[in-house]
Amino acid sequence: MKSKTSPIKGGKEPADAKKETEIKIDPITRLEGHGEIRIKLSKGKVSSVQFNVTSARFFEKFLEGRLAEDARIIAPRICGICPEPHHLASVKAVEDAWGVNPPPAAKKLRELLLLGKQISSHPLHLYVLAAPDFLLGPFAPPEARNIVTIVNKMPDAAKKAIELMKHGQELCATVGGKAVHPVTAIPGGMTKTLKEEQRDEWLKRMDRAMELAEFTYQLLLKIVQDYWDVVTKVGVIETYYAGLANNGEHNFYDGSIRVMSPSGKIEAEVPAQKYTEVVGEKVVPHCYATHIFYKKAGYPEGIWRAGPLARINVVERMATPRANEALKEFRAKVGRPCHATFAYHWARAIELLDAVGKAKKLLEDPDIVSRDYKLEKVEPREGCGVGVVEAPRGLLVHNYWTDKYGIMTKANLIVATNHNIGAIEKSLNVIAKQVIEDKIHEKLKLPKPMINA
Amino acid sequence: MAGKAKVAFVQLSSCWGCHQSLLDLHEKLLDVIPLLDIKYWVAAVDFKVYDLKKLPDGGLDAAFVEGLCRTEEDVHLLKLSREKAKALVAFGSCSSFGGVPSIANLFPKNELLERKYLKAETVIDRNTIPSENLPQITNFVPRNDQIVKADVYLPGCPPTSQEIANAVLALLSGKPVEHSIKTICDECERKKEEKNVKEFRRDFEGKPDPEKCLINQGYLCMGAGTRAGCGAQCPNANHPCKGCSGPPEGVTDQAAKLIGTFGGIADMEPQKLLDVFRDPVGQLYKFTYASSPLSKLRSVNKGEK
Amino acid sequence: MKDSKEKSEGFEPYVLGLVCNWCTYAGADMAGTSRIQYPPNLRLVRVMCTSRLDPTFVIRGLELGADGVLVSGCHPGDCHYVNGNYKTERRIHLLTKLIQQAGLEPERIRLEWISASEGSKLAEVMKDYVQVLKKIGSNPLRNSKEKHHVDDKDLFGKEVK
Repeated sequence: MKSKTSPIKGGKEPADAKKETEIKIDPITRLEGHGEIRIKLSKGKVSSVQFNVTSARFFEKFLEGRLAEDARIIAPRICGICPEPHHLASVKAVEDAWGVNPPPAAKKLRELLLLGKQISSHPLHLYVLAAPDFLLGPFAPPEARNIVTIVNKMPDAAKKAIELMKHGQELCATVGGKAVHPVTAIPGGMTKTLKEEQRDEWLKRMDRAMELAEFTYQLLLKIVQDYWDVVTKVGVIETYYAGLANNGEHNFYDGSIRVMSPSGKIEAEVPAQKYTEVVGEKVVPHCYATHIFYKKAGYPEGIWRAGPLARINVVERMATPRANEALKEFRAKVGRPCHATFAYHWARAIELLDAVGKAKKLLEDPDIVSRDYKLEKVEPREGCGVGVVEAPRGLLVHNYWTDKYGIMTKANLIVATNHNIGAIEKSLNVIAKQVIEDKIHEKLKLPKPMINA
Repeated sequence: MAGKAKVAFVQLSSCWGCHQSLLDLHEKLLDVIPLLDIKYWVAAVDFKVYDLKKLPDGGLDAAFVEGLCRTEEDVHLLKLSREKAKALVAFGSCSSFGGVPSIANLFPKNELLERKYLKAETVIDRNTIPSENLPQITNFVPRNDQIVKADVYLPGCPPTSQEIANAVLALLSGKPVEHSIKTICDECERKKEEKNVKEFRRDFEGKPDPEKCLINQGYLCMGAGTRAGCGAQCPNANHPCKGCSGPPEGVTDQAAKLIGTFGGIADMEPQKLLDVFRDPVGQLYKFTYASSPLSKLRSVNKGEK
Repeated sequence: MKDSKEKSEGFEPYVLGLVCNWCTYAGADMAGTSRIQYPPNLRLVRVMCTSRLDPTFVIRGLELGADGVLVSGCHPGDCHYVNGNYKTERRIHLLTKLIQQAGLEPERIRLEWISASEGSKLAEVMKDYVQVLKKIGSNPLRNSKEKHHVDDKDLFGKEVK
């Protein structure tokens, strides 16, 4: 039995409560990727929930035999929304394998590139992928729940969203050469630096971006307030959390991998090179993506989450004062660690404030226009290296092995969203029961939608 | 809704980059979107596959198909898009030529699966290859137009936002989509000198001079064998072209063409040139391997003994 | 697609010869007028200089089913156009490396320097090449051009041995 989007719409009860039925959501929408959800019901009760990721392209295998410097051109094709993290994790892995330490200016330019991506990806996620459900409400017709409706009914917010994404993408293009599949990060540094005119222009643009980020944050706060019942009651699951911390501070580009237990204890903090000590991968028969878990806790108890909520949980503080203010607000209301799945969006908005603030800080650094952006001499060698960064949706690990000519002999990749597959299935299990069995959607305190479809 | 064009944006196995490039029209999107009646767009809109199936055959004015066929579901979606659309647009290099993931054709399917599910360093147990409630993986990555006919090709990885907008507007007004017949060299503003390269270098060696032709400096720039249209974005970023928009007009085999180029301008013993190409397929067919007649050999025919 | 039966059952390799006008083509003429015997498997295409050969032609020949492609021109130093054959040499070596990486036997492309007076060398080369090709069998790409269309059997059926 196939059902429209979700039973939350009401009126689409399983036809015969005695029989076995299956609700199939095919495909899941408003995301990047391929997936289906299968909910099996037996006598009206949820008997199983499967999150089927229905595609894989096997980058890990076909990277074998490639020139190591080509990996940073190939790997971004894993994801067109977040190619920058792949580009950078790839370069870091090669540099780690070859013992190459790029000039400080290059690292700052790379961090700026990564921040540009957060500045466009987070609003993309918030406005295009997530907001329709909240602005229109969960009972709005599915065909209305999308960005086109927001453009038509809340044009001011839509324009601001587009403007903010534009700042992010164009910053990526300025620093990275192109926004989708950048090219400028290369073993040994960057292929170019910023010109002073560019830096001056971007400082102005970051001030404007901050206004837009603040607008987004306030809108998010309102949504969280309005949907407080949803945030605190729906899909709350206790999991481990993994993210980068740079001496305890939030950092997208560099840091050590921190693992936090469901009770809030920092169980481990390891450098990127030791990721195999903490990352476990479970192959699940009904999913082409694997489930990631904290190795020492085993599967499924150790299932962890990565991305904004996880990062907000594991770090002590953000990198900028405004974001730290927001973090304090967050922790005062939902604690640390926060297990509420719907709080991801709040965490995302906090990271957005931080990303803009940090980008501004980097643009103010004289190194950002330095002419010392590349080592002249870079020698390939046989080696093994790990490059880890934070992508918008989570930790990103690239582990490469190269031969003496600098040809890839092996690669192991743990990509951002992959970290969350196990947890997504776990939360779907909870939500399916809440909606189908407990009918929680009839009991939640919901606001009047901001948009009437 | 009389004047709106009915379109679908379909994603096979892909990275979403072409869609991101469409979104990167930013405020210009607000001019384009109202012209479209979007019937299917998994990335942004909640229509499901059965909504696409319910459409009458030829009911869509255009289907923009991004991505390549890596699974049964991809093949099914591709065929469905062909049925439902008057014009099928091969959206991006994956859809036009196979794209980067068609490099996987260098390996038989079982090796791809084994590396990911049985041999990866972080995988525990190492005894399962997923197959429950999942579409089968194809034996190799074909070119999409070996399965269904495409009416328009929009190559590029991704095609630029402007190229996408031009194509959408052309389709809306019933005009043909125009492509450059030239190569990247034509768009590249660097100073070009006579080519007699004595020494090639790898992309990470040295610090490229932003004014001179990259090939003159010894970098393996694929621009001479790549279709123009992107504005030479990568050379402008001080990086050699990688060939992402596929071969130029009239050329079907990008690698063979580039071999002609580099073989012609290299002033060195053959072995020295070979040493620069330690990965000919990866370097010369990076975005177009599924287009090559050679590409099924290792994935299906198991290659030479 | 690949028919190992053909290796043993009277398989006659098809050799496509892409040869230059001034040296090898003239040499082939000479073999003819001198009545030098050699296997009839060669189909010659004459170009003015082997540097006229776009590597695409070689791929095309293989795609259309030639079991071997013989590229032959003037000896290094003797090119009628001074340095054309040097370009050919680099191109053919690189092309051979490409096809080998892709899984096609490198023997399927053969580069030779045969001058106008070396009709007998052409004969020796052909005798040898036919043996080599008989040993490795027919081109697995044979029939690939006819089958431009890919169907479900190709995509999901058992892999061809």
